[in-house]
Amino acid sequence: MQILSLSLSNYRIFKRLEMDFPQRLTLLVGNNAQGKTSILEAIHFLSIFTSPLASSDREAINLLALKEEIPVGRIVGGIQKAGKKHTLEIRLILNPAQNGSGRLRKEVLIDGVKKKLFDAVGFFNSVLFLPQMTRILEDGPEERRKYIDQLLSQAYPGYVRALSDYQAALSRRNALLKLLFDKGGDEGQLAYWDEMIATNGATIIEARIKSISDFEEYFREQFRRLTGSREEIRLDYQPSYNGENQANRQLELGINQSASNPFGYAEIRENFLARLKTLRREEIRRGVTTIGPHRDEIRFFSNDIDLGVFGSRGQIRTAVMALKIAETQWLKDKSGELPVLLLDETLAELDELRRADLLNSLGLDEQAILTTTDLKLFSPDFAKTCQVWQVAEGRVEKSNSG
Amino acid sequence: MAILPEPLEKLMLAFERLPGIGPKTASRLAFYMLRAPAEVSADLAEALKDIKISTALCKVCFNITAAGRDLCDICAAPERDNGLVCVVEEPMDVLALERTAGFAGRYHVLHGALSPIEGIGPDNLRIAELEDRVKEGRIREIIVATNPSMEGDATALYLRQRLETYPVHLTRLARGLPVGGDLEYADQSTLLRALAGRQDL
Ligand SMILES: Nc1ncnc2c1ncn2[C@@H]1O[C@H](COP(=O)(O)OP(=O)(O)OP(=O)(O)O)[C@@H](O)[C@H]1O
Ligand SMILES: [Mg+2]
Ligand SMILES: [Zn+2]
Repeated sequence: MQILSLSLSNYRIFKRLEMDFPQRLTLLVGNNAQGKTSILEAIHFLSIFTSPLASSDREAINLLALKEEIPVGRIVGGIQKAGKKHTLEIRLILNPAQNGSGRLRKEVLIDGVKKKLFDAVGFFNSVLFLPQMTRILEDGPEERRKYIDQLLSQAYPGYVRALSDYQAALSRRNALLKLLFDKGGDEGQLAYWDEMIATNGATIIEARIKSISDFEEYFREQFRRLTGSREEIRLDYQPSYNGENQANRQLELGINQSASNPFGYAEIRENFLARLKTLRREEIRRGVTTIGPHRDEIRFFSNDIDLGVFGSRGQIRTAVMALKIAETQWLKDKSGELPVLLLDETLAELDELRRADLLNSLGLDEQAILTTTDLKLFSPDFAKTCQVWQVAEGRVEKSNSG
Repeated sequence: MAILPEPLEKLMLAFERLPGIGPKTASRLAFYMLRAPAEVSADLAEALKDIKISTALCKVCFNITAAGRDLCDICAAPERDNGLVCVVEEPMDVLALERTAGFAGRYHVLHGALSPIEGIGPDNLRIAELEDRVKEGRIREIIVATNPSMEGDATALYLRQRLETYPVHLTRLARGLPVGGDLEYADQSTLLRALAGRQDL
């Protein structure tokens, strides 16, 4: 998988941007706040159809463009995939609305033909490595769920749609639970939302159960390699509801340890639905949906030490690096093609040894785009193998490496 | 720092409160009214004033009708099929379905859909009134034509639960309608296909 060209309009700091990429290595060089990270963000947007950085995708539209009647931000990637060339275009359209905030509409076009978002996700695969991704381990569980979701959305058709429907249904179900508590009313209204939660929730739970243990193998191997086998890492998936039939059990809000379990979609769905019925009284009283993938947790253990609690900076960085290399391999085995690697500043964060290791682990086949504020961080030998683009104030210019 | 005189400002704000109209369109409309001949604004003002006082809801189907009348034109038409009732969210949907000329039954307008987020429950809609109509026993089939959104689907499923005990056949408009789209925006051929291919609910 390759990205051959990128053109942006009204995206972040870029009014317009046109650039092309060589088969292997590209280095984006520039001072702070010039637009380097935004370029990687835009490329990864083509994979997951949402910004990996912004809390809301509308933030990615150029601020000056917001003054236009209908602001449109645009990302167009020239993609090479299985020997064929394609264009992948994303439009971020801000429709004006009464209260002035407007509603964001996303359009996706493959080779000029409009596609449903859910059908097109996974068309182009990339792996993004940002320095702040240590948050995956350090922050709350929602960071880890977001991480897993972004990973799975590239590999499983149907995952993103299930997730989006689940979230839409969840907020409505919670609103209804509160309404029933505050004002009473017919509990029969819950039937539809229970159905939506169980149906989409089962898709998510099944995908997570199946893939996390699969992905863990890749992750362990990379972590072992990076630590010279001194440390053993473990990914502990703790589903808030694991698909088991718990009808006869006491309500447990906590966490089930059995991550490897044999339930299939239909069973999970049935059991989930039954569980929601049992919990109905309790959930109306509390006004929230108490079980489901929105409450899942994933913990990282190195030699049985919880890295989220006790991990050293170095350990956490190594874990994130292992995650990213593992993602690359995993996506390759899932889709048959190497994803494009996007490495933001990550080399500056690593010590000499790890940096060499990361650069070495870039095989001869894959395409990688790296950013740096300082070209000197790279050996001249390495820099010579890269196409260098200078990034300054939202403009880019090709320059030959020294 | 009011740059514009107050009456103009007031008109703009009034336009801006309308659905689908942003500040730009609102100011364009306001300036248009300012420049247009006096009768244009007089006609509009009169029409606006009339709309509330000279319309009412049909006592049977809750579609909009002229003030002082009990029934709307559709409920009053003797040749239409009393055994077939199409349930829609909004009066606009009746209009859209009527334009297809593919439906010869009666209607029932709910005036919305179940929406937990907006706090709209069954009691805020004309659901009890629909149940009353069904109780009379003359309706064979009800076509639920709520929008193909989550709220529309939730409403359809809820209607099925409410009407389960009555001997009435419930169907739902076939998909093929754009998901997340509104009935009133669907084109006629799409609507006709959806009507023909309605499914059991
Ligand atoms: N929607 C937007 N419209 C216009 N400018 C924006 C928008 N979003 C971000 N910017 C600007 O883009 C710049 C940040 O770009 P980016 O994060 O890509 O820089 P960078 O080159 O990666 O910098 P650093 O080396 O500090 O990481 C900032 O100057 C910011 O103000
Ligand atoms: Mg940056
Ligand atoms: Zn009527």
